[in-house]
Amino acid sequence: MKRYDCMKALAPLLKDELVILSLGASVDEWYNAAPHMREASLFQQQLGCVTPEAFGLAVGLPHRRIVSLDTDGGLLFNLGILATLANEQPQNLFVVVWDNKKYLSAGGHRTHTEKGVVDLAAMARGAGIEDAYSATSLEEFEAHCRAGLTATRPYLVVAHVEGAETLDLKRKPSDGREDKYVFVRHVEQSEGVLIMGPSEKN
Amino acid sequence: MKAEAVEAVIRGLKRAGVSVASYLPESLMKELYPALDADPDIRTIPVTNEGEGAAIAAGVFLSGKRAVLVMENSGIRAAAEPLARVGLGAGIPVVMIMSYRGELGEANWWAIPHGITMEPMLDALRTPYRIVREVAEIEQAIVDAYRWSYARYHHSAVVLGGSVVR
Repeated sequence: MKRYDCMKALAPLLKDELVILSLGASVDEWYNAAPHMREASLFQQQLGCVTPEAFGLAVGLPHRRIVSLDTDGGLLFNLGILATLANEQPQNLFVVVWDNKKYLSAGGHRTHTEKGVVDLAAMARGAGIEDAYSATSLEEFEAHCRAGLTATRPYLVVAHVEGAETLDLKRKPSDGREDKYVFVRHVEQSEGVLIMGPSEKN
Repeated sequence: MKAEAVEAVIRGLKRAGVSVASYLPESLMKELYPALDADPDIRTIPVTNEGEGAAIAAGVFLSGKRAVLVMENSGIRAAAEPLARVGLGAGIPVVMIMSYRGELGEANWWAIPHGITMEPMLDALRTPYRIVREVAEIEQAIVDAYRWSYARYHHSAVVLGGSVVR
């Protein structure tokens, strides 16, 4: 299955959620697959800190559903977060791992999942995340999204997607700083809080 | 770490509005970690490495709550990768409290690299820091770090050294 099709299946299920996503082509794909979630999505260029950052957001907003769109390379970079999630048991965190078995944005070099012997979902279960699954079809993936978006304990689905995608998508024009401001203003507006406030008066 | 130093750290964190602490425990501040765990106003999150703790703290910032990353100064090496990405890349701040391993007076050979690398690492990350060796200066140093980080939206650090941690 294609990652972009999975994103288009996930997008209509989202409304009030907040999303943090990984780097590379998935940024432009999510930008196009979920235009209604652009302000509610933190577009970053990060390897290894997407799910930890999403967990921190989930800790700060325990009443809000947080979605992490991570990758095989990103999760393999910091497997320790699986153990932390298992210990902390956030009730509002849904983790999607796009496993295309490649560092696609770096030129398609293989990751450690390419040989088929490394099972990220099994690693997550071994770490103590009981709701950790693999999805190989769109139907499976969508079912896991529905379950993960209403779960009351950490829920992780590894989506096995095709490695090479050549999509002619509109490029997201902003950088990480602008994206942070947009995201923070969205959180402020939707939560009624002030995160980045005015300077003090002299 | 003396009891009054532990109390000063927690007073400073509360004055700064901190409600979440991620940490990788170490020996110089070993009394601080159970004190943070026991505090009803602070949610503690033990992590597997300091980079993970930095990323979690960055996520807490995005929620409007305030977090701190507590660690040995060696942790700045493990945390450098996410700190560079979230701070230098996106302008998401992480405030750190770290023990000063390897400063003059250090008697453990294995801790010397921590002292040698700490300041160059902080400088490389454009992260201002204050080295505090008096208990009376701890609380204000923490408050000042948050004021700076929430004005610049970048990382800052309070380094606890000298008799504060020995």
